[in-house]
Amino acid sequence: MALPLDKIMKWKNLAQTAASRWPGRVEVSLDENRLTAHLRCSPDDLQGVCGWLFFELDYSFATLVVEEETASWSFRYIFYGDLGSGQVHIIVRHPLSETTIPCISRLIHAADWQEREIEDLFGLHFEGHPRLGDFVLHEEWPEGVNPMRTSFDSTRVYPHRESEPAWGPQTIVEAAGAFMMPIGPVYSDHAESAHFLLETLGEDVLRTIPRFFYKYRGLEKIAEGKSVDQVLLLAERFSGTSAFAHSLAFCQAVEGTIGAEIPKRAQALRVFLAELERLRHHVAAITGICQSTALAVATSQASILEEKILRLTCRYLGHRYLFGLNIPGGLSLDLTDDTCKGISEAGWDVLEKLKKLQGMLRFTSSFLDRLEEVGMVSKDKAVSYGLVGPVARASGVLRDLRVVQPYAYYGDHLKFYVPHEEEGDGYARLRVLFSEAEQSINLMHQVSASLPAGPVKTRLDPAPGSCLGWVESPGGATFHWVRLGEAGRVLRYRVMTSSFVNWHGFHLAAEDFAFQDFPIIMATFALSNAECDR
Amino acid sequence: MTKWVWKGLQTGIKTTAYPGSPETAAGVSPGRPGWKDPVERKKIMSLMDLCPTGALRPTEERISMDYRRCIHCFRCRRFPAEPLDWEPGYEWGEIVSNQGNLGKTFSNSLHIRIVDAGACGACLSEIGHITSPYYNIHRLGFFITPTPRTADVLLVAGPGTDHMRLPLEKVFEAMPAPKRVVAVGTCALTGGIFGKSFATRAGVGEIVPVDVEVPGCPPPPLAIIHALLVTAGRKKPPDAPSYPGTEREEGRS
Amino acid sequence: MMETGILFVVVFLICGLGVILAAVLPDRKNPPALAFVASLATLTLLWASGRVLFSDHAIFNSLWRVTPLIRLSIEIDRVSSFFLFITGLVFFPVSIFSAGYLKKYLGSYSLKSFALFYHLLFASIVLILIAGDVFSFFIAWEAMSILSYLLVNYEHGHEENTRSGFLMLAMSEAGTLAALVAFLIMAKTSGGIDFGSLRSLSLGQSARWGVFLLSFLGFGVKAGLVPVNSWLPRAHPAAPGNVSALLSGVILNLGIYGIIRINADFLPLKDVGQGLTVLAIGTLSALIGILYATPENDMKRMLAHSSIENMGIITAGLGAGFVFISSGHSVLGGIAFIAAFYHMANHSLYKALLFLGAATVDSRVGGRDMDRMGGLIRKMPWTSLFYLIGALSIAALPPFNGFVSEWLTLQSFLQCSALTSKGVKIAFALCGAGLALTAGLAVTCFVKAFAMSFLGMARSEAAQNASDPPHSMTIPMGILGIYCFLLGILPTYVIPQIDHVVVPFVHESALDALVPPFFTVGEGNERFPKAFVSEFHDLGAQVGSDTLPGRGLVIMHRGSTRNPVIFAMSPSYTIIVLVLLLVSGIVVVRVLTRKRALARRAAWDGGVRRLAPTMTYTATGFSNPVRVIFNAVLRPVTIQDSKETIAQHFLNAIKKDKREIHLVDRLFIRPIIDGGRLLAAWLGRMHSGRVNTYAAYVLLALMIVLMIQMLA
Repeated sequence: MALPLDKIMKWKNLAQTAASRWPGRVEVSLDENRLTAHLRCSPDDLQGVCGWLFFELDYSFATLVVEEETASWSFRYIFYGDLGSGQVHIIVRHPLSETTIPCISRLIHAADWQEREIEDLFGLHFEGHPRLGDFVLHEEWPEGVNPMRTSFDSTRVYPHRESEPAWGPQTIVEAAGAFMMPIGPVYSDHAESAHFLLETLGEDVLRTIPRFFYKYRGLEKIAEGKSVDQVLLLAERFSGTSAFAHSLAFCQAVEGTIGAEIPKRAQALRVFLAELERLRHHVAAITGICQSTALAVATSQASILEEKILRLTCRYLGHRYLFGLNIPGGLSLDLTDDTCKGISEAGWDVLEKLKKLQGMLRFTSSFLDRLEEVGMVSKDKAVSYGLVGPVARASGVLRDLRVVQPYAYYGDHLKFYVPHEEEGDGYARLRVLFSEAEQSINLMHQVSASLPAGPVKTRLDPAPGSCLGWVESPGGATFHWVRLGEAGRVLRYRVMTSSFVNWHGFHLAAEDFAFQDFPIIMATFALSNAECDR
Repeated sequence: MTKWVWKGLQTGIKTTAYPGSPETAAGVSPGRPGWKDPVERKKIMSLMDLCPTGALRPTEERISMDYRRCIHCFRCRRFPAEPLDWEPGYEWGEIVSNQGNLGKTFSNSLHIRIVDAGACGACLSEIGHITSPYYNIHRLGFFITPTPRTADVLLVAGPGTDHMRLPLEKVFEAMPAPKRVVAVGTCALTGGIFGKSFATRAGVGEIVPVDVEVPGCPPPPLAIIHALLVTAGRKKPPDAPSYPGTEREEGRS
Repeated sequence: MMETGILFVVVFLICGLGVILAAVLPDRKNPPALAFVASLATLTLLWASGRVLFSDHAIFNSLWRVTPLIRLSIEIDRVSSFFLFITGLVFFPVSIFSAGYLKKYLGSYSLKSFALFYHLLFASIVLILIAGDVFSFFIAWEAMSILSYLLVNYEHGHEENTRSGFLMLAMSEAGTLAALVAFLIMAKTSGGIDFGSLRSLSLGQSARWGVFLLSFLGFGVKAGLVPVNSWLPRAHPAAPGNVSALLSGVILNLGIYGIIRINADFLPLKDVGQGLTVLAIGTLSALIGILYATPENDMKRMLAHSSIENMGIITAGLGAGFVFISSGHSVLGGIAFIAAFYHMANHSLYKALLFLGAATVDSRVGGRDMDRMGGLIRKMPWTSLFYLIGALSIAALPPFNGFVSEWLTLQSFLQCSALTSKGVKIAFALCGAGLALTAGLAVTCFVKAFAMSFLGMARSEAAQNASDPPHSMTIPMGILGIYCFLLGILPTYVIPQIDHVVVPFVHESALDALVPPFFTVGEGNERFPKAFVSEFHDLGAQVGSDTLPGRGLVIMHRGSTRNPVIFAMSPSYTIIVLVLLLVSGIVVVRVLTRKRALARRAAWDGGVRRLAPTMTYTATGFSNPVRVIFNAVLRPVTIQDSKETIAQHFLNAIKKDKREIHLVDRLFIRPIIDGGRLLAAWLGRMHSGRVNTYAAYVLLALMIVLMIQMLA
């Protein structure tokens, strides 16, 4: 599709605008092929520049990549904008001895958890951040040992230390008789491990203190030094329910580093399979929502559809969760045109049943009572927390990477619209899930109807460099950033997932509602702890 | 509410007949590598290079499969000119401890506590499906409990992260005897692709004593149900496979 | 009869001895001396009043003639002796408790004064109950009011105690004034002031209503009835622990005594409307009392609100009795009265127990806030056990005494079907529903009280380091616990005694209608036909007839042939069955598990690294649902509800604070005070400050007086 001219002009004028606002202190270099601007500035101007991008130019904050180079720290703040606005990478360099840098989360709250993560893992201090400490590494982790530093030996097991008896997470509610309800890390049925402390006076939850990283597997650290093939497995497997999306993002990052041209058939099939995964993920989320409200028959109906999709996937693609399909350069498996058509026919069947289910749910008032006006996230908060995916779109924030930063076969070839709602409550999120599932099937149909011929993979020769790969995974915007070294070894691997970003905003929805609503609100967010913890 | 009742009745019975009779529908299992004839050494070495977790081990003229390491990456199936044969099926559970199964008292009534020790989500999703209408363990007398105090079986998935070590130990201690631990998925058996590192163990066997193992990445719901039936003593764990040329790895590493 | 009189004199002499010892002994020795002497006095009182209560010797004695109008006399009939007996039962353990408890005041307040006030209070209460004429009654009453004020204000270093005591005194005086006016109205018509002459009176309709309202509301102040009970939740917590037990257990009963004397003895209520008023106010008090008790975190204030609730139940029972009697159903009225009196006895006992428990906890933990307690069962096991018995009793759970009296009260309400007026029946139904709601809330309240204080983890340093109290503090609680238990499993021995007490008011014995004599009736007689008796003998109603005295162990109310049993129960048999079940259960479990190994593990906490006390329920959290549901009634005032953030997004603090103003204060006291202020402000305009105006007032007053003189 034609990119909006005014936005592109604005992006091209970034250098001039930056130079006029921070004369002599900011260097801008533009890469027109990738529509990416690299902006170098000093730590003192960091907050100003980030604020300018976020508030005035309406860029969203993607992630912060920290690299420990031989003589300096490199901080890369990645921003992305609307269609045509491209990306902006702000790069700040610090000598290795300096471990303090100003924080930007007072301005851009979306950076809050990312700065806390980096503080724990790198041992860097973000000046001005009021909440550092106790994030990734829990209280039993030895002091002063930071896993992401190059001096850290990732093969060792580190002994735990005894935390002080009086240690506890910081409480916020000051009221007589306030206490905390602990949930987890091991709690209901097959829920993922996470710990919540609900501060309450007895009826309503006033504040949730979530503690994650019980599933921290040190993904970014153990990827260092491995070959692209091995890291591909890590990228695919760290979150099995969005495996295809993550492997796609990683492959795109590697392909972008090398500068490879991917065959059109591979691009189209990648879209086809990504939408198939989105469909399954959303049906699983709908099952989860019905289960949380204890509507047994609806849960069974949605569960039947999910199993149908899983069996369909396994039958044609070998694995129920689409493992092992993406490789740098394309796909490992080709599908015949008829197979694609068969899968998308089955998809229409699923859509019909899904629509029936939605129709029945619309008129079940006991179900709607649990979702309507429960778990509200306002649009302002969604924007300032940088929420992504169906959660954000239910609150009126429209950004979808398939539209604003088109990749693979998206862009001019496919027509679809991004479903969104305004209310920001549980019911809005449910409606967005149903609509997105419908759009996924629509996209699959479009792809299968116009599948380009040709090879499905191409040979890649590894080359050093770095690049960002991005994908709109079923949960929202996902970014994989890779730096390759000699002989195709991965030097640095950074993953920023939608669940990490959205878990940050979860407390907005859960606060000021009753205990009983907590699991339902959690189900409407449909987040993955494995994706968050990495 | 009657419309839901009617809808449920209309949908009919979707549940599989397993374990009464094998499930033959397509897509219930990704299958796993297996082959019929002895393989040439040249081919063996090239295949071994492809396997990222070392599940293929050479012996004289054969390859032995350590299914506990297989992560279903399909590289031995899709990349080589002569790919390995594929073995469909899902009865993958094995008893690995001396305790054996739980015996007659529990064969029709098993209470299961599920713990996530760092699983990626696929194993947990499959575990979640064992109560879906297609598989429905309730008809077998198996139930999921919210508390370890009333649990007989501890179902663990995930490589065993450092932070989940203490909670997992606590769950195991909180369960009354007799109890069995079923480790689900390759990560729980050998650490999978995460392996042994500062953040994960090479499988939950390093944290709690494992009795029944189910390899797979992820093992499909039928494989998990098979493992539960083995734990309850209603199914015998499979003997050595009938394919000549493949041997189970002796001993545990 | 003479011996009984001498015994009463001995009681006063021992009190006098106590007063002397209090003055003579040093502070350190005073508590044990007080315990010893007061115990002696109470034991003597128990003996003396027991003689009157359990036999039929009433004592009437004229004493001195003070002036030609006023002749002092003593009258101890069964009603007085009932109240005296309960007083003795409560005073005895409280006195023993004082020995250990008062040590905490050593050095800060004068223990001599305490002992002095204590003995004098005891004497004044006995005097009130044995007074036979209006004059001595009110002298003793005033003495009791002042002494109880002095004891409430004992810790006068804290200003709130003085304020609360003063409020109590002021309202008590207002009530006394109203009651005095009622007495005077009666005395004016009768001509004499001794109780005998007040009995045979005939008054007009409006005078009767006047006497009823004045005496009911006047003595209602002391009894803690809505709307005149604002002093109660403030005064009871302010007093030292053992005094609170007395206030709730003994002094509240005096209000009921006053109400009964005037409205059942001297001027029995004839109007159904009056009975309904009593019923309605009783139910309201019960509801409001428990509604404020449930969300309350201060242990003693909660017990004070609960006293209001129990007094409400007693009053409601009395009201039901009045309605039945004035409608001609004496037996049903008797049942209601028996229920009310039984409840009064029960309340005195278990409330004293609970207050002693609260005092023990307070002395060991140093605070009364239940939010900051927890885990005390491990530190003070005996106290926990006895407090649990008290909590079970007040929550009206078998096999304890509260169950019997509350059950009887509710059953007596249900008998309203015998009445004819629809309006009255609806009133009964509503009040019955109100009492049922009260009972439900009471269970919530006392589950919270016990569990949050004694179970779980210690939520503060003080609770963590609490020490075990001495035996002198636990033994009295044990004694009260045993009383509660005995009165719960042997009701069929208590009811006949209470029946004797109420017969003079009801004019008919309700005993046959409540406790059929299964032990003594043999084959049957005309009141208990053979078929009926044999049917219940088959059910085992005569078990124990050879060994146990009395009429039987079953409480039963018979109906017509179509509906032979209206209500029946037997706590005595129940406890036997319960004990058998418990023992057999334990034996079966032991036998079945003798080969199993027992493993002890920490509580399952979801796998948290360390379960902190802040992660356990507080008392506020437990009772929050009640606060939320009854928000419209409680109407808390929000003092603070703010969120503080850093840089707009980092939530730093959420502050919430709410205060509640009592319903009675809001709707009754405050409007009266505001109205009074308004009136005063309006009248204050008279004070213009100019001498000329004042001179004009004098002239005006003179002219009015002259005109009245000339016209009269």
